[in-house]
Order: sequence, then C-alpha cells, then structure tokens
Amino acid sequence: MSEAMVEFAAAPPSTGGGGLLRRLNLLTAVAGGVLFAAIGWYISHRIMQLGDFGSDRVVTITLICWALGFMVGIGAFAGPLRWLLGRDQEHEDEMFLAGKDQGIGRYFRFTTDHKVVGIQYLVVTMVLFAVGGTLAMTIRTNLITPNSGFLGPQTYNAVVGIHGLVMIIATIVMVTGPFGNFIMPIMIGARDMAFPRLNALSLWLLVAAVPILLSAAFLGGIPTGWTGYAPLADQAPPGMDAYTMTIIVFAMSSAIAGVNITTTALTMRARGMTWSRTPIFVYGVVASVGLAIPAFPMFMSAEVLLGMDRSFGAQFYVAAGGGSPWLYTNLFWLMGHPEVYVIVLPAVIALMEITPVFTRKPLFGFNVAVLSIVGIVGLSVMVWAHHMFTTGWAPDLNGSFMLTTELISIPTGLLFLVIIGTIWRGRVWTTLPMMAVYAMLWNFIIGGVTGIYLSDVPADYALHGSMFVTAHFHYTLMGAGLTGAIGALFYWFPKMTGRMINKRAGLVSFWLVQIGFNVTFMGMFAVGLAGQPRRVVHYDHLFAVGNFVSTMGAYCIGVGMLILLYAVVSSWRHGAVAPANPWGAKTLEWAVPNPIPLENFEVLPVVISDPYGYGEGDPVLPPTQRELVPVGAPRDPVAEDDTETSQS
Amino acid sequence: MSVRQVVMGVAATVIGGGLVVSLTGAILSRTSAQSKPLHATVKGTAPTAEGTLPHAFLDLSTYPDSMGGPHGGDGGTHPDWVTYGPTTDLRVPAHSLVTMTIKQYDTGGSLNNPYFAVPYGTVGGTVTVDGKTVSTVDPDGVGHTFTIHGAPTNQDPLFVSVPLPAVSDDAEPAPNSDYPPPHVVTFSFITGGKGEYVWNCEYPCGDGYYARFGGPMATRGYMSGTFTVE
Repeated sequence: MSEAMVEFAAAPPSTGGGGLLRRLNLLTAVAGGVLFAAIGWYISHRIMQLGDFGSDRVVTITLICWALGFMVGIGAFAGPLRWLLGRDQEHEDEMFLAGKDQGIGRYFRFTTDHKVVGIQYLVVTMVLFAVGGTLAMTIRTNLITPNSGFLGPQTYNAVVGIHGLVMIIATIVMVTGPFGNFIMPIMIGARDMAFPRLNALSLWLLVAAVPILLSAAFLGGIPTGWTGYAPLADQAPPGMDAYTMTIIVFAMSSAIAGVNITTTALTMRARGMTWSRTPIFVYGVVASVGLAIPAFPMFMSAEVLLGMDRSFGAQFYVAAGGGSPWLYTNLFWLMGHPEVYVIVLPAVIALMEITPVFTRKPLFGFNVAVLSIVGIVGLSVMVWAHHMFTTGWAPDLNGSFMLTTELISIPTGLLFLVIIGTIWRGRVWTTLPMMAVYAMLWNFIIGGVTGIYLSDVPADYALHGSMFVTAHFHYTLMGAGLTGAIGALFYWFPKMTGRMINKRAGLVSFWLVQIGFNVTFMGMFAVGLAGQPRRVVHYDHLFAVGNFVSTMGAYCIGVGMLILLYAVVSSWRHGAVAPANPWGAKTLEWAVPNPIPLENFEVLPVVISDPYGYGEGDPVLPPTQRELVPVGAPRDPVAEDDTETSQS
Repeated sequence: MSVRQVVMGVAATVIGGGLVVSLTGAILSRTSAQSKPLHATVKGTAPTAEGTLPHAFLDLSTYPDSMGGPHGGDGGTHPDWVTYGPTTDLRVPAHSLVTMTIKQYDTGGSLNNPYFAVPYGTVGGTVTVDGKTVSTVDPDGVGHTFTIHGAPTNQDPLFVSVPLPAVSDDAEPAPNSDYPPPHVVTFSFITGGKGEYVWNCEYPCGDGYYARFGGPMATRGYMSGTFTVE
C-alpha cells in the first residue's frame, strides 16, 4: 500500500463538520464579490470622493473589495480561518475539497483536485479566447476600410487595449493552466499537486481578475493598448485602474501557480524518474512558470506604482514631478519579454512531447532540447530593452541588447532542430496533434525570422510601432503559442475528457484557422512594411487592400475557431469513448485508466527508463514489482546508467 | 454522430457565434462616442482658376472646453478638454471650391513651429480673419490650426493648413454665452478627386499633458478628425 493510501486509511473518522464550506460555489463567490464591492464603493465614495484623485480611489477600492469578496465567497479563506479557530479541516472536508463524488458541481467550487483545476483552467481559457476573439473581430471589422466609422476612436482604443490584455492573459495560462495542472502531475507519477489548495487559489484568483478586466470597458476603457505605457496611463480614465488591479490580481495568481508547479515537478516525481527520464513537457512547464515567478512581480510593482500615481498623485512616472516614464517601460519589459517565452515555451515543448509519439521515434537530442530551454530562459531576461530602442533610454546599450536578442535565436533554432530531427525518417502518423506540429514550425519560422529583423537596431527604428510588429508577435504568440496549445488539446483531449475529439470537425477547423491566420498576418506584414502604424482607428488609403485582406483572413479564423469550439463541446458530450491510451504513448498519464481515479494511481509508479523508447520495453516497473522498492529509496531505484537513456 | 448531425452542429455553432460577435460589434458601434459626419452644403457654383466649380460651405468652431463640441451637454468624458465642433468627421464634394468658416473661441500662445502661422493650400494663399484678408498671423498668438495632411498616397494630394488666431486671455464672455466673442476665420480651397484624409491642430493645446501634446491632442474626436472628399 502506498504512503498516501496508508495516510488516508489512518485518517480519523469524520465528525460531520464543514457545513458552510459545502455551500460555497461560484454563485456565492459572485454574490460575495458584488456585496463587498458595493460596501467598498459606498465607503470610499463617502470618504474619498473629495480631492483630485477621488474617482480613481473609489474605483480601485471597489475593485479590491470585489476580489476580496469573490475569494471569500468561493471559500478561499475557509481553510486558514478554520485553522485559526482551532477547527482544522478533517479528512472528510479534504475529500469534499478534492471533489470526491460531487459530479459536475465540483467544477464550480474551490476544488483542490488537480484534474478539476485543469479543466477549470481550460474552460476559463476558452472563455477568455472567446472574449478576446470577439473583440478581435470588431477591430478587424473597423479596419476593413480606411475610415469605416464602425467604432469611434475612443471605443476603438478601448477595444484594442482590452483585446490585447485578455489575449495575453489567455495565452499565458493556455498551456500551463489546463495541461500543467491536469497532465503534468500524472505525467510525473504524482497523486496531486504539491499544494492543492494553492492550486485552487491560483485558479479562482484568475477568475476574479476577469470581471475586473472587463469592467474597464465601462470605466472609459484602456486607451494605452495592453502595454499601459506611462505617462499616458497616468492620464487615462478610470478604466486604467481596472487594468492595474487586473495585473495585480493576475500576478498573484501566476506566482502561486508558479511556485506550486515548480515544487510539484521538483519534489513529486515518481521513483526512478531522474531528470533524464523526465518528459520534456515537464521541462517546458517548469521553464514557463519558473520565468513567470521573477517576471510578473516586475509588472505587478509597475502597476502598484501606477496606482499610487493615479490615486495619490505620487508621480513615479511623471517627468514634471521628478518621475520617469522609462521606469515604467523598464519594469514592464522586464516582465514583457520573458513573458513571450512564458507563453511560447510550454506550447512549443508540448508539441515536442507530441512529436515522438506520432513519429514512433525517441526525441532527437533530448539533452540539446533541455540545454536550449535553459539557454532561452537565461537569455530571455537579458533582452527586454530591445522593445525600447526608440525610446531614447540608454542608447549606448542598444548594441548589447541587439546582441542578446539575436543570441536567443540560437537556442530557439535548436528547438526547431530537435523537432525536425525527431520527424526526420520517422514513421509519421499524421493526426490532428501532428498537424499542429507542422503548422507551428511554419508559423514560428516566420515569427522568429521577423523577430530577428526587429531585434536589429536600424531596422527597428524603421519598423517600430508599425503593423509589422503586430504581425510579428501574432506569428509567435498565436502562430506558435496558440497552435501549440490547440495541438496539446487535440493530443490530451482523450485523457482529459475520456472522449475522442471529432477528427473531421477538427480538420476543417485546423485548415480554416491556419489559412486564415496566414492571410490575416501576411496582409498585416505588408501594410506594416508600407508604413501603417499600429493602434490607429483610421488609416491611409495606401493600406486599404492589405487591411481588407487581413479582415477577410480574420473572419476565416473566427469561423475556424467556432468550429473548433463545436468540436470540443460536441466531442466532450457525445464523442466516441476513448481508450486509456489511444495514441500508444509511453508517458505516465497514458498508463492510468479513463476516467482517472481521484488519486490517479492505485500504486505509485516506478520509472525504469525514459518515455521515448518506442520499440523498447515498458518504461514503468510492473505493479507487482513496485512494492519491492523500499520507501525512502533513492530516486533512481534501478542500477542503470543514465547514458542508456540519453537520446542524443 | 452522423455527418448530418455534425454539419448541423457546425452550422449552428458558426451562426450562433457569428450572431454573438455581430451583436457585440453592433452594441460597441452604437455606443461609440463618435461624432456624426458634417456634410458641406453646396450652394451654386463659383469661378476658380480651374474653371467653374460647385461651391460648398462648411462651418466649424473651436471651443476652450468640451461643452460646445460633439461630446454632449455635460462635456462627455473630458469636459475640460478643448475641442473642435460640432464634429470632427468632415465630408466635402470632390472637384469643388470649399469655403470653410471657423469660429475660434479659445485662447492660445506660441506655436512650436512658426511654419504653421502661414496659410497653405488656400485660394490665394490667404485667409480672412474677422473680415480682414491676411497671409500670415502672429506665431505667438495662435489659438489652434486646422491642418489637413497631404500624405503622399495614391489619392489626389490635399494639403491645407490655416492658423486660427488666439482670443485674448482677458476677453470677457459675450452676452448670453459662456465664451468670449470669437475670431471668425474664413478660407477657401479646391478639392481634387475622392479621398480620405486626416486633419488635426498643430498648436500644442493639450494643457496638463506631456509637452501639451496629450489628452485632446492625442485623442481623435477633439483636436483631430477625418476629412473625406466624396
């Protein structure tokens, strides 16, 4: 019997407590948020409305109260509160929190089971993409002709800002949220995350942040674009306070998730899962959240200072008051460029995990892949000022930042080589996930090469602030990042839902999205090279054809995404029942049955080789032999040289 | 699931999703604080150097706040911002003589660039200020400019820039008005073929903002707009 099972068996009998805990759900969370927000608004309105910064203070306090009330209403503080009162949660409460025998209701509660949190992340991510995508359609509709008049100038700016931030948040969580939570613990042979309550806390903080962000639309919008540059942000309407609070709450969520995922991967891998036997996807997830842990506090502190500027007249970013707009720019991009890799790394590496499965080959250059990930992580914190070449900040450093930025293309290129080397002479099984691999390679090459142009100081002076930049980062974040996430969804869908995804609808969606994507952003490259600036509601006639083409491509993406939505929802409900391991993959998540038991493994696995040995034996010890391994044995129980498992 | 069911489901999802997106777009469009277009009024014809052309008239004003512009009775989001009015979306006929009259109610100061103290693109290179024809104004006494930018495109070029003299800082409000008596600036220019242009003020009037180029200077619908030759 495993240690965990022994622990459960020895748990004291329930005394039937936890009544209030069991009544908390999404509805009580919203009610709590609204109630706290109303109280916060009333008090702040009465006390603080007077003065130059009254409306900003009122909005900020109201939004803080919303977040606090929401978290109280969902039950985030129930555990600590009971502990403080000397009535710590009992075994039965823990089982309730884990969602045991609760059906669909567990998805609307503060549930600690990592699989439930993974599904919750998936749904929240899809909702965010739906919101951001809808706004993208309105942006492209406005740009269908040079002066369409579809949106007013201020509304256009607000829509662009909210679209940007919604999509950035969605892309940050789109892999590490659903798959990092659902798949990664099973993949490493764990029963749950290291800190299950923190896991739920990170999810519900994200949910609490979404209405805060959307409230910006009713508070004058975010006229700065998603970057929130000061001093424009100092001058913006109260929608900017919503932006500030969104970032602060989201940074808390991502920090908590980052610590949890990192701790889980470092300490909870199955016996025998040495680093050379750890699936590459785990590296991708850990690299992503590991980067996020130092990066997002930069953004958070930038927003705290901005909030003080706006609510108390602190003038951190106002040059006339002794502040510096460059302070904001530096803090922002100290987050902003690592954030690109927070998004792209796990998505690309998810596809790297997929590739050996469908080529029936070991991952080509496993050690090179790991070193490349480490190289990207290290270099990505040293490139931030390439976003600031034209700002006038430290022009003497432009050359250095150009160099570091161009250097990062080397480990990134090695990741390409690892995937291509894995495909090379493989027996490729062209499934939907594998098609996502091909699409990512195509899109990321274009995004990467255009990124090299932009890292070049003279070229950047010409292209900065143009639609060329917009096209470039969409090729990386959407063309590589989102394509990777969709590939991961296709791949792990049978394990997460117990159903096979509708392949025909998936194929139609895939081609519509990929063709539409390339049409949209090739058109944007063209108008950007011709000189069209970003974030303009009206543009010159010179750019009319390129913009019309881009809008048609965007509509094509929209239709494709709706078909993907149909494929996911209909397959989830009515799809063919999936076998436990439909792809014949060798990582541990495919070794557990469908539906996955609450604790994942009846007996914890013991790993004896890497998961990419196609044509070789099972990478896991048979269950009958596992109990022979003593508790507390070294990580590697089998006297086996690691060089045998090296794939390079 | 049968193919028929899948096709029906896909169609329903695409139509439903399309409706949601369309509804969102329609709501955003209807609630957008964009001003309605102002069409020039054509009154007969006029002899010009390019022959006899239709003669169109357009009247605008510049206000020291947003109460008098297109932002509503309460001044909208930024009641203290200077603004053009009644709108910033201007439409004039192609191949016509356009005569614009701008009532300038605002105070002012020095231009960053005295280039904009001289009228360009107007008939005769002059403007009429309070009934007096001039070919330049004091660059240290400009309230705003009306400048259509003739960016090099495949449209017919149209570059018109007119300085609008400032009202005195100590001018008293006119009877039954919140504003002092305005300077009335009149000028004419000839349009070419159809085209869409942007115009803006070149006097830095975004008081309280960085270099006075923020706020109303940086927000379309206040001191900038579109100029459509149709």
